[in-house]
Amino acid sequence: MKNYFLALGFFCFALSACENDDFCAENTSPKLLIRFYDKEDPETLKEVPLIVWAEGKDTIYPLSVLDSIALPLDTSNKQTTYKFSTTNIVDELQFTYVREDFFISRSCGYIAIFKNVALESQSNNWIESAEISNATIENETAAHVKIYH
Amino acid sequence: MQLSKMKLPHMSKYTISCCLFLLAFFAQAQENKPLEQNDSLVYKKNYGLRVGVDLSKPIIAARDVDYKGFEIVADYRLRPNVYIAAEMGHVEKTSEEDRYQFFTKGSYLTVGINRNAFKNWLEMDNELYYGFRYGFSRFSQTLNQYTVFQKGVAIDGISSAYFDPATEQPNRKFEDQNAHWVSLVLGMKVETFKNLYLGLAINISKLLRIDTPDNFENLYVPGFNKVYATNSSVSFNYTLSYRIPLYKK
Repeated sequence: MKNYFLALGFFCFALSACENDDFCAENTSPKLLIRFYDKEDPETLKEVPLIVWAEGKDTIYPLSVLDSIALPLDTSNKQTTYKFSTTNIVDELQFTYVREDFFISRSCGYIAIFKNVALESQSNNWIESAEISNATIENETAAHVKIYH
Repeated sequence: MQLSKMKLPHMSKYTISCCLFLLAFFAQAQENKPLEQNDSLVYKKNYGLRVGVDLSKPIIAARDVDYKGFEIVADYRLRPNVYIAAEMGHVEKTSEEDRYQFFTKGSYLTVGINRNAFKNWLEMDNELYYGFRYGFSRFSQTLNQYTVFQKGVAIDGISSAYFDPATEQPNRKFEDQNAHWVSLVLGMKVETFKNLYLGLAINISKLLRIDTPDNFENLYVPGFNKVYATNSSVSFNYTLSYRIPLYKK
Protein backbone atom coordinates (compact mmCIF):
# COMPACT_ATOMS: atom_id res chain seq x y z
CA MET A 1 0.00 0.00 0.00
CA LYS A 2 2.84 2.35 0.90
CA ASN A 3 4.38 1.64 -2.46
CA TYR A 4 1.20 2.64 -4.28
CA PHE A 5 1.22 6.01 -2.55
CA LEU A 6 4.85 6.46 -3.45
CA ALA A 7 4.13 5.59 -7.07
CA LEU A 8 1.23 8.04 -7.13
CA GLY A 9 3.39 10.78 -5.63
CA PHE A 10 6.09 10.05 -8.16
CA PHE A 11 3.59 10.24 -11.01
CA CYS A 12 2.24 13.61 -9.84
CA PHE A 13 5.77 14.97 -9.54
CA ALA A 14 6.49 13.71 -13.04
CA LEU A 15 3.48 15.49 -14.49
CA SER A 16 4.29 18.77 -12.81
CA ALA A 17 8.00 18.63 -13.53
CA CYS A 18 8.31 19.48 -17.19
CA GLU A 19 6.61 22.67 -18.11
CA ASN A 20 7.54 23.33 -21.68
CA ASP A 21 8.40 26.80 -22.89
CA ASP A 22 8.56 26.30 -26.64
CA PHE A 23 6.55 29.41 -27.37
CA CYS A 24 8.01 32.83 -26.81
CA ALA A 25 5.52 34.84 -24.78
CA GLU A 26 7.79 37.66 -23.69
CA ASN A 27 8.49 40.88 -25.54
CA THR A 28 10.88 40.66 -28.45
CA SER A 29 13.17 43.37 -29.84
CA PRO A 30 11.36 46.66 -29.18
CA LYS A 31 10.26 48.94 -32.01
CA LEU A 32 10.86 52.63 -32.45
CA LEU A 33 7.81 54.49 -31.22
CA ILE A 34 7.03 57.78 -33.03
CA ARG A 35 4.32 60.23 -32.03
CA PHE A 36 3.08 63.12 -34.13
CA TYR A 37 2.49 66.52 -32.52
CA ASP A 38 0.97 69.76 -33.68
CA LYS A 39 3.67 72.31 -34.62
CA GLU A 40 1.42 75.17 -33.46
CA ASP A 41 0.76 73.50 -30.13
CA PRO A 42 3.70 71.18 -29.32
CA GLU A 43 1.91 69.54 -26.40
CA THR A 44 -1.00 68.21 -28.46
CA LEU A 45 -1.01 65.07 -30.56
CA LYS A 46 -2.08 65.64 -34.15
CA GLU A 47 -3.17 62.89 -36.47
CA VAL A 48 -1.80 62.65 -39.99
CA PRO A 49 -2.81 60.57 -43.04
CA LEU A 50 0.32 58.54 -43.46
CA ILE A 51 2.12 56.03 -45.69
CA VAL A 52 5.41 54.74 -44.29
CA TRP A 53 8.12 52.53 -45.78
CA ALA A 54 11.80 51.90 -45.28
CA GLU A 55 14.20 52.62 -48.12
CA GLY A 56 13.97 49.77 -50.62
CA LYS A 57 11.21 47.94 -48.70
CA ASP A 58 7.45 47.43 -48.93
CA THR A 59 5.02 49.79 -47.30
CA ILE A 60 4.86 49.06 -43.60
CA TYR A 61 1.97 51.43 -42.86
CA PRO A 62 -0.45 51.64 -45.76
CA LEU A 63 -2.56 54.79 -45.86
CA SER A 64 -4.04 55.33 -42.43
CA VAL A 65 -4.71 58.31 -40.19
CA LEU A 66 -2.57 58.07 -37.08
CA ASP A 67 -0.91 60.04 -34.33
CA SER A 68 1.59 57.36 -33.36
CA ILE A 69 3.42 54.55 -35.13
CA ALA A 70 5.85 51.78 -34.13
CA LEU A 71 8.63 50.94 -36.59
CA PRO A 72 11.14 48.08 -36.43
CA LEU A 73 14.80 49.00 -36.70
CA ASP A 74 17.18 47.07 -38.93
CA THR A 75 19.32 44.93 -36.63
CA SER A 76 21.79 44.08 -39.41
CA ASN A 77 22.75 47.72 -39.92
CA LYS A 78 23.78 50.66 -37.79
CA GLN A 79 21.14 52.87 -39.36
CA THR A 80 17.62 52.71 -40.75
CA THR A 81 16.01 55.19 -43.11
CA TYR A 82 12.24 55.56 -43.19
CA LYS A 83 10.14 57.56 -45.62
CA PHE A 84 6.95 59.24 -44.42
CA SER A 85 4.46 60.30 -47.05
CA THR A 86 1.36 62.41 -46.54
CA THR A 87 -0.71 63.65 -49.47
CA ASN A 88 2.17 62.70 -51.81
CA ILE A 89 4.71 64.84 -50.01
CA VAL A 90 7.57 62.64 -48.79
CA ASP A 91 9.92 63.26 -45.91
CA GLU A 92 12.85 61.11 -44.95
CA LEU A 93 14.32 60.41 -41.52
CA GLN A 94 17.50 58.48 -40.93
CA PHE A 95 18.08 56.98 -37.49
CA THR A 96 21.41 55.72 -36.19
CA TYR A 97 21.86 53.55 -33.11
CA VAL A 98 24.04 51.08 -31.27
CA ARG A 99 22.57 47.61 -30.90
CA GLU A 100 22.95 45.44 -27.79
CA ASP A 101 21.72 41.84 -27.62
CA PHE A 102 20.28 40.26 -24.51
CA PHE A 103 19.38 36.68 -23.78
CA ILE A 104 15.75 36.50 -22.64
CA SER A 105 14.73 32.84 -22.35
CA ARG A 106 14.98 29.44 -24.01
CA SER A 107 12.03 30.09 -26.31
CA CYS A 108 12.77 33.72 -27.14
CA GLY A 109 16.55 33.54 -27.40
CA TYR A 110 18.27 36.88 -27.97
CA ILE A 111 16.55 40.21 -28.46
CA ALA A 112 18.11 43.55 -29.40
CA ILE A 113 17.76 46.83 -27.60
CA PHE A 114 18.99 50.07 -29.13
CA LYS A 115 21.09 52.72 -27.48
CA ASN A 116 22.34 56.18 -28.47
CA VAL A 117 19.50 56.58 -30.92
CA ALA A 118 20.08 59.72 -33.00
CA LEU A 119 18.60 61.48 -36.01
CA GLU A 120 21.33 61.38 -38.60
CA SER A 121 19.45 63.33 -41.23
CA GLN A 122 15.97 64.61 -41.89
CA SER A 123 14.11 66.43 -44.62
CA ASN A 124 11.50 69.05 -43.83
CA ASN A 125 8.85 69.08 -46.52
CA TRP A 126 5.82 68.51 -44.35
CA ILE A 127 7.61 67.77 -41.10
CA GLU A 128 8.41 70.97 -39.27
CA SER A 129 10.92 69.28 -36.98
CA ALA A 130 11.71 65.99 -35.29
CA GLU A 131 13.48 65.22 -32.05
CA ILE A 132 14.62 62.22 -30.04
CA SER A 133 12.79 62.18 -26.72
CA ASN A 134 14.27 58.92 -25.51
CA ALA A 135 17.63 57.75 -26.88
CA THR A 136 17.38 54.22 -25.48
CA ILE A 137 14.84 51.81 -26.96
CA GLU A 138 14.22 49.17 -24.31
CA ASN A 139 10.44 48.97 -24.46
CA GLU A 140 7.45 50.34 -26.33
CA THR A 141 5.75 52.15 -23.48
CA ALA A 142 6.83 55.75 -24.19
CA ALA A 143 7.60 57.60 -27.43
CA HIS A 144 11.21 57.63 -28.56
CA VAL A 145 10.76 60.22 -31.30
CA LYS A 146 8.50 63.25 -31.53
CA ILE A 147 7.59 64.68 -34.91
CA TYR A 148 6.04 68.14 -35.18
CA HIS A 149 4.04 68.99 -38.26
CA MET B 1 11.64 19.72 -39.93
CA GLN B 2 12.25 20.60 -36.30
CA LEU B 3 9.45 18.25 -35.26
CA SER B 4 10.63 15.20 -37.14
CA LYS B 5 14.14 15.67 -35.77
CA MET B 6 12.76 15.73 -32.26
CA LYS B 7 10.60 12.67 -32.71
CA LEU B 8 13.21 10.21 -33.94
CA PRO B 9 15.17 9.75 -30.70
CA HIS B 10 11.88 9.42 -28.81
CA MET B 11 10.69 6.77 -31.23
CA SER B 12 13.85 4.75 -30.75
CA LYS B 13 13.58 5.09 -27.00
CA TYR B 14 10.03 3.82 -27.23
CA THR B 15 11.05 0.85 -29.35
CA ILE B 16 13.88 -0.08 -27.03
CA SER B 17 11.55 0.24 -24.06
CA CYS B 18 9.12 -2.18 -25.65
CA CYS B 19 11.87 -4.69 -26.46
CA LEU B 20 13.23 -4.58 -22.93
CA PHE B 21 9.79 -4.94 -21.49
CA LEU B 22 9.10 -8.01 -23.58
CA LEU B 23 12.51 -9.41 -22.70
CA ALA B 24 11.47 -9.20 -19.09
CA PHE B 25 8.60 -11.60 -19.69
CA PHE B 26 10.80 -13.83 -21.76
CA ALA B 27 13.28 -14.05 -18.94
CA GLN B 28 10.60 -14.79 -16.39
CA ALA B 29 9.15 -17.53 -18.52
CA GLN B 30 12.51 -19.22 -18.80
CA GLU B 31 13.13 -19.24 -15.12
CA ASN B 32 9.87 -20.78 -14.03
CA LYS B 33 11.43 -24.02 -12.95
CA PRO B 34 9.26 -26.70 -11.33
CA LEU B 35 8.32 -25.82 -7.77
CA GLU B 36 10.29 -27.66 -5.20
CA GLN B 37 8.27 -29.50 -2.61
CA ASN B 38 10.03 -28.15 0.42
CA ASP B 39 8.31 -24.78 0.94
CA SER B 40 10.43 -23.88 3.90
CA LEU B 41 13.45 -23.52 1.64
CA VAL B 42 15.01 -20.06 1.82
CA TYR B 43 16.54 -18.73 -1.39
CA LYS B 44 19.73 -16.88 -0.71
CA LYS B 45 20.41 -13.59 -2.47
CA ASN B 46 23.53 -12.87 -4.45
CA TYR B 47 25.61 -10.00 -3.15
CA GLY B 48 28.24 -8.24 -5.18
CA LEU B 49 29.20 -5.21 -7.20
CA ARG B 50 27.07 -4.79 -10.29
CA VAL B 51 28.59 -2.73 -13.11
CA GLY B 52 27.18 -1.86 -16.49
CA VAL B 53 26.85 0.55 -19.37
CA ASP B 54 24.02 2.62 -20.72
CA LEU B 55 23.15 1.17 -24.13
CA SER B 56 21.03 4.09 -25.28
CA LYS B 57 23.78 6.71 -25.43
CA PRO B 58 26.00 4.97 -28.02
CA ILE B 59 22.88 4.17 -30.06
CA ILE B 60 21.76 7.81 -30.04
CA ALA B 61 25.34 8.85 -30.86
CA ALA B 62 25.38 6.53 -33.86
CA ARG B 63 22.23 8.13 -35.24
CA ASP B 64 22.86 11.75 -34.29
CA VAL B 65 26.08 13.48 -35.39
CA ASP B 66 25.41 16.25 -32.86
CA TYR B 67 25.66 13.90 -29.90
CA LYS B 68 28.41 11.87 -28.24
CA GLY B 69 28.04 10.22 -24.88
CA PHE B 70 28.60 7.27 -22.62
CA GLU B 71 27.51 6.30 -19.14
CA ILE B 72 28.79 3.71 -16.68
CA VAL B 73 26.45 2.49 -13.97
CA ALA B 74 27.17 0.59 -10.78
CA ASP B 75 25.31 -0.57 -7.73
CA TYR B 76 25.97 -2.57 -4.63
CA ARG B 77 23.45 -4.51 -2.58
CA LEU B 78 23.36 -3.38 1.02
CA ARG B 79 20.27 -5.29 2.13
CA PRO B 80 18.06 -7.74 0.20
CA ASN B 81 16.02 -4.88 -1.24
CA VAL B 82 18.29 -1.87 -0.82
CA TYR B 83 21.08 -0.87 -3.16
CA ILE B 84 23.55 1.96 -3.21
CA ALA B 85 23.77 3.12 -6.82
CA ALA B 86 25.84 5.49 -8.94
CA GLU B 87 26.11 6.62 -12.53
CA MET B 88 28.90 8.52 -14.19
CA GLY B 89 29.23 9.67 -17.74
CA HIS B 90 30.42 12.15 -20.32
CA VAL B 91 28.36 14.00 -22.92
CA GLU B 92 29.18 16.25 -25.88
CA LYS B 93 26.10 17.68 -27.50
CA THR B 94 25.18 20.44 -29.92
CA SER B 95 21.71 21.80 -29.18
CA GLU B 96 19.80 23.53 -31.92
CA GLU B 97 17.03 25.89 -30.91
CA ASP B 98 14.95 28.03 -33.26
CA ARG B 99 17.20 31.06 -33.15
CA TYR B 100 20.42 29.90 -31.52
CA GLN B 101 22.79 26.99 -31.30
CA PHE B 102 25.14 25.94 -28.53
CA PHE B 103 27.54 23.15 -27.65
CA THR B 104 27.78 21.46 -24.25
CA LYS B 105 30.66 19.26 -23.14
CA GLY B 106 31.17 17.77 -19.72
CA SER B 107 31.05 14.94 -17.23
CA TYR B 108 28.71 14.02 -14.43
CA LEU B 109 28.30 11.79 -11.42
CA THR B 110 25.11 10.77 -9.64
CA VAL B 111 24.94 8.84 -6.36
CA GLY B 112 21.99 7.51 -4.44
CA ILE B 113 19.84 4.67 -3.16
CA ASN B 114 17.50 2.24 -4.93
CA ARG B 115 14.80 0.33 -3.15
CA ASN B 116 13.31 -2.75 -4.74
CA ALA B 117 9.53 -3.01 -4.47
CA PHE B 118 9.17 -6.25 -6.44
CA LYS B 119 8.54 -9.55 -4.62
CA ASN B 120 10.54 -12.22 -6.40
CA TRP B 121 9.43 -15.83 -6.77
CA LEU B 122 11.84 -18.60 -5.88
CA GLU B 123 15.43 -17.75 -6.65
CA MET B 124 14.56 -15.04 -9.17
CA ASP B 125 16.31 -11.75 -8.67
CA ASN B 126 14.47 -9.08 -10.64
CA GLU B 127 13.74 -5.57 -9.54
CA LEU B 128 11.09 -2.95 -9.86
CA TYR B 129 12.60 -0.10 -7.93
CA TYR B 130 12.37 3.49 -6.94
CA GLY B 131 15.21 5.60 -5.74
CA PHE B 132 16.81 8.94 -5.17
CA ARG B 133 19.96 10.50 -6.55
CA TYR B 134 22.15 13.47 -5.97
CA GLY B 135 23.81 14.61 -9.17
CA PHE B 136 26.71 16.84 -10.02
CA SER B 137 28.08 17.95 -13.37
CA ARG B 138 31.00 20.06 -14.50
CA PHE B 139 30.88 21.24 -18.09
CA SER B 140 31.60 23.94 -20.62
CA GLN B 141 28.99 25.71 -22.70
CA THR B 142 29.77 27.33 -26.05
CA LEU B 143 27.33 29.70 -27.70
CA ASN B 144 28.02 29.12 -31.40
CA GLN B 145 25.43 31.25 -33.12
CA TYR B 146 22.29 33.26 -32.60
CA THR B 147 19.80 35.32 -34.57
CA VAL B 148 18.20 38.37 -32.99
CA PHE B 149 14.51 37.79 -32.40
CA GLN B 150 12.34 40.53 -33.86
CA LYS B 151 8.62 39.97 -34.19
CA GLY B 152 7.30 40.06 -37.72
CA VAL B 153 5.28 42.92 -39.17
CA ALA B 154 1.88 42.19 -40.67
CA ILE B 155 1.66 43.53 -44.22
CA ASP B 156 -1.59 42.71 -46.04
CA GLY B 157 -2.37 40.21 -43.31
CA ILE B 158 0.87 38.27 -43.76
CA SER B 159 3.30 38.56 -40.90
CA SER B 160 6.97 38.42 -41.80
CA ALA B 161 10.25 39.99 -40.77
CA TYR B 162 10.47 43.50 -42.19
CA PHE B 163 14.26 43.50 -42.09
CA ASP B 164 16.40 40.37 -42.19
CA PRO B 165 17.39 39.90 -38.55
CA ALA B 166 21.06 40.04 -37.62
CA THR B 167 22.85 36.72 -37.09
CA GLU B 168 25.92 36.70 -34.88
CA GLN B 169 28.53 34.00 -34.42
CA PRO B 170 30.09 34.85 -31.09
CA ASN B 171 31.62 31.37 -30.48
CA ARG B 172 31.70 32.37 -26.85
CA LYS B 173 32.87 29.62 -24.51
CA PHE B 174 31.85 29.49 -20.86
CA GLU B 175 34.24 27.23 -18.97
CA ASP B 176 33.88 25.59 -15.53
CA GLN B 177 30.12 25.59 -15.29
CA ASN B 178 28.68 23.58 -12.39
CA ALA B 179 25.26 22.14 -11.73
CA HIS B 180 23.83 20.22 -8.75
CA TRP B 181 20.52 18.43 -8.77
CA VAL B 182 18.35 15.76 -7.15
CA SER B 183 16.43 13.06 -9.01
CA LEU B 184 13.65 10.62 -8.42
CA VAL B 185 14.34 7.33 -10.18
CA LEU B 186 11.83 4.71 -11.24
CA GLY B 187 13.19 1.63 -12.95
CA MET B 188 13.32 -2.08 -13.49
CA LYS B 189 16.11 -4.63 -13.78
CA VAL B 190 15.67 -8.10 -15.19
CA GLU B 191 18.13 -10.94 -14.78
CA THR B 192 18.29 -12.37 -18.29
CA PHE B 193 21.19 -14.76 -17.73
CA LYS B 194 22.94 -15.65 -14.51
CA ASN B 195 24.18 -12.34 -13.06
CA LEU B 196 23.50 -10.45 -16.31
CA TYR B 197 20.86 -7.73 -16.07
CA LEU B 198 18.94 -5.58 -18.49
CA GLY B 199 17.58 -2.45 -16.98
CA LEU B 200 15.66 0.66 -17.77
CA ALA B 201 15.07 3.70 -15.65
CA ILE B 202 13.42 7.06 -15.86
CA ASN B 203 14.89 10.00 -13.93
CA ILE B 204 12.92 13.07 -13.03
CA SER B 205 15.32 15.71 -11.84
CA LYS B 206 15.23 19.13 -10.30
CA LEU B 207 18.16 21.53 -10.23
CA LEU B 208 19.37 22.68 -6.84
CA ARG B 209 21.98 25.11 -8.08
CA ILE B 210 23.37 26.00 -11.49
CA ASP B 211 25.84 28.57 -12.78
CA THR B 212 24.49 31.23 -15.11
CA PRO B 213 26.87 32.35 -17.84
CA ASP B 214 26.98 36.06 -18.67
CA ASN B 215 24.11 36.92 -21.04
CA PHE B 216 23.21 33.26 -21.64
CA GLU B 217 21.75 30.30 -19.73
CA ASN B 218 22.80 26.71 -19.24
CA LEU B 219 19.95 25.05 -21.10
CA TYR B 220 21.51 21.63 -21.34
CA VAL B 221 23.48 19.92 -18.60
CA PRO B 222 25.34 16.61 -19.07
CA GLY B 223 23.59 13.90 -17.03
CA PHE B 224 20.68 16.17 -16.23
CA ASN B 225 19.51 16.66 -19.82
CA LYS B 226 17.53 19.54 -21.31
CA VAL B 227 16.65 22.10 -18.65
CA TYR B 228 12.96 22.95 -18.75
CA ALA B 229 11.38 26.21 -17.60
CA THR B 230 10.83 24.92 -14.05
CA ASN B 231 14.52 23.94 -13.75
CA SER B 232 13.51 20.32 -14.13
CA SER B 233 14.20 17.55 -16.60
CA VAL B 234 13.47 13.99 -17.61
CA SER B 235 16.07 11.47 -18.69
CA PHE B 236 16.17 7.76 -19.42
CA ASN B 237 18.75 5.04 -19.47
CA TYR B 238 18.77 1.47 -20.75
CA THR B 239 21.49 -0.53 -19.12
CA LEU B 240 23.24 -3.83 -19.53
CA SER B 241 25.05 -4.77 -16.35
CA TYR B 242 26.87 -7.69 -14.79
CA ARG B 243 27.00 -8.59 -11.12
CA ILE B 244 30.39 -9.70 -9.92
CA PRO B 245 29.21 -12.19 -7.30
CA LEU B 246 31.02 -11.85 -3.99
CA TYR B 247 28.92 -13.86 -1.56
CA LYS B 248 25.43 -15.22 -0.88
CA LYS B 249 23.27 -14.37 2.07
